[in-house]
Amino acid sequence: MLLDRIYAFFEIVGSLAADPVTLGILFGSVFLGIMFGAMPGLTSTLGVALLTALTYSMDTPMAMVCLLAIYVGGTYGGSYAAILINIPGTAAAAATALDGYPLALKGEGGRAIGLTTTSSAIGTAISMLFVVAISPIISSFALQFTSFEFFLLAFFGILISGTLTSPDLVVKGWISGFLGLFLACVGRDQLQFYPRFTFGIPELDSGIEVVPVLIGAFGIPQIVEVLKTQVQIGKAKKLQKIVPEIGTVIRNFPAIVRSAFIGVGIGAVPGIGEDIAGWVSYGTAKNTSKHPETFGKGEYKGVLASETANNACVGGAMIPLLNLGIPGSPPAAMLLGALMLHGVTPGPMITFEHPTFIMEVAAILLLSSMAMWVVGMLLAKQVVKVLRIPTPLFMPIIGVLCIIGSYSLGLSIFNLYLMLPVGIVCYFLTSMGYPIAPLVIGVILGPMADENIRRALMVSQGSFMPIFQRPVSLILFIIIVFTVISQTPWYKKGLEKVKIKLFRSKNSAM
Amino acid sequence: MMDKEKLRKADFFSGGFITLFGMFVIVTSLGMPMKDSWGGVQNVWYVSPAIFPLFVGAMLVILGGMLIRTALKAIGFSGVATVVQYLLSSDFVGFLRRRETVRFYGIALLLFTFVFLMVPRVDFFLAAVLFLFVFFCMFYLDKSELLVKLMFFYCGGMAALLLVLLVAEPLATVLPHPADWFVLAFTVVFGVVVRSRISGERQLDRKFTTAVLLAVTAPFLVGMIFKYFLLVPLPFEGLIVELLDLVWYAEIWE
Repeated sequence: MLLDRIYAFFEIVGSLAADPVTLGILFGSVFLGIMFGAMPGLTSTLGVALLTALTYSMDTPMAMVCLLAIYVGGTYGGSYAAILINIPGTAAAAATALDGYPLALKGEGGRAIGLTTTSSAIGTAISMLFVVAISPIISSFALQFTSFEFFLLAFFGILISGTLTSPDLVVKGWISGFLGLFLACVGRDQLQFYPRFTFGIPELDSGIEVVPVLIGAFGIPQIVEVLKTQVQIGKAKKLQKIVPEIGTVIRNFPAIVRSAFIGVGIGAVPGIGEDIAGWVSYGTAKNTSKHPETFGKGEYKGVLASETANNACVGGAMIPLLNLGIPGSPPAAMLLGALMLHGVTPGPMITFEHPTFIMEVAAILLLSSMAMWVVGMLLAKQVVKVLRIPTPLFMPIIGVLCIIGSYSLGLSIFNLYLMLPVGIVCYFLTSMGYPIAPLVIGVILGPMADENIRRALMVSQGSFMPIFQRPVSLILFIIIVFTVISQTPWYKKGLEKVKIKLFRSKNSAM
Repeated sequence: MMDKEKLRKADFFSGGFITLFGMFVIVTSLGMPMKDSWGGVQNVWYVSPAIFPLFVGAMLVILGGMLIRTALKAIGFSGVATVVQYLLSSDFVGFLRRRETVRFYGIALLLFTFVFLMVPRVDFFLAAVLFLFVFFCMFYLDKSELLVKLMFFYCGGMAALLLVLLVAEPLATVLPHPADWFVLAFTVVFGVVVRSRISGERQLDRKFTTAVLLAVTAPFLVGMIFKYFLLVPLPFEGLIVELLDLVWYAEIWE
């Protein structure tokens, strides 16, 4: 069985690698992704969003090659700006800047980029192993889920995403998630076809299109913020010869594996992106180091930890996306929108409807990591030139791409009328400390939550008791309650008291 | 993001808005069929289309209330009073005139006029060229005294475009695609005005040339990919698209 899967996997890798068109698209998309990641203000989410429109006419495997490659490339590309100008190209590379820039100041920028290239490739490859190994287990487990479990899972996704992505108060993250759920309510409901919040506008009858909302939510705030605040990009530090740093990687292999595990784990949590993976991994590397004082002053282990983790997050985010239909990160949310456009509905049934799909995704991840390594090693010096392009020149072009991209998905001008106001509202929400990821996750998971709670209540004749009678439901319910309680002040105070008591008793024992 | 104190002040108002919005969701949901029949089907409460929106609305009210409570705990009613005083003071007028705020108006103006006025009614290429060109002139040339003037000039142009669109039908009998011709002419006039304002400044001259080149090439590249390679019809196909169609589908290529 296992050998069959391994054989099938390498067969898919071989067939993808043998097709020159696929290879061309793979390398092109990785290169584009790296450029997107490298330019401060552009993110891999935006890259995936914009490319979704271009892949509309492609077949599904080709579209996946394109989108996953840009996701992998974009996540890695952020390290260029972080190392050379101390401005992370993407939020995912924010932790990389802490040690990457001091290395560039020491004249070791080339070595640092070589190290990020190799560690990012290893991170992606390790996460691919998890996609292959864990997916069948989660998929078969998820097949036991009934409507109550799916409702609770969707609810948990929104809640945990709101809890972990909120830059200010947690309650704002939850509000953002519920605003997303409200947007998902708009349109005729799936069970009785009753028009909800359509206000007599026929275009709203079919509900709110996910992709234009996603493009608006991620693209417009970015454009407004960058142009409004007039981000001045500093002069990039000189880039020396780029070496793969294989020796450093081998010496730090246990740390790389640990960072990859952190990346995969964080990626698998709904809605939590590469930025958190990078920070957690960096923090862990610093806390476990014998010389934590060297971190922040040009420590290779810091660069290695954050870059391995943020790229491993890509594969991690694929696990809940493919098996449960719940995106693990904002770019994965965009990928979900793209998959739906191509007629693929991720979830537990994916292994029956598209038996080789998960294998294909894993194969694309592996090939993308290789392509990223090759492009990173050979073309880094050329890519760095994009850092010289002033932001006011490329941001308006991104604006045009957002607009034509939103329109082209469904050929509807109404998508634009939706995309822009959503984008402006998201800009204000962002500036008031509301995270956007839960809103997007809410829009995506809303229909799943709505349909499943009603279906579940239909089966139970209006009783909520099955939640407490079914083990998975009960576990999910307890986790949700714990997530909420853990944010209350009295819980935090209680925890603090317990910690003090524990440490005091330990100290007195010593 | 704002600093902590400003955030808490904003939280009071955003929390209030969220609570009101949640109430609106609840009230609207209560108008949906709960137990009565819909489409010939007798309803029961647990399959009602109102169930989920009611839950969402209730949660928004609760969370909005929690946010207001947190904000009040941090700033108190005196903090709210200072915000109201600030909104009524000349300091607020000063904020509205701040460089960053003016830049925001510029971005919002360009995006809204492009999406709501030009994209559905003007040839996509011409609309995109004007949009990009004005954007570049306002933000890439980056001359603060020029920004406001250009914004007003652009507003005037858009008002005139609105008038042209109102009389477009009778005008089209004399001159086909009147709105497209107007946008083309306005782009040229805009360019001439900007050029005259920056003449003599070498660095700005160079930036202006880059702006013109990029504003023309980028829409053509993007538009051509979507129209002729991805076969996506553009939102509005007018003067330029007709010309391009003539060239692209000309018999000489066959």
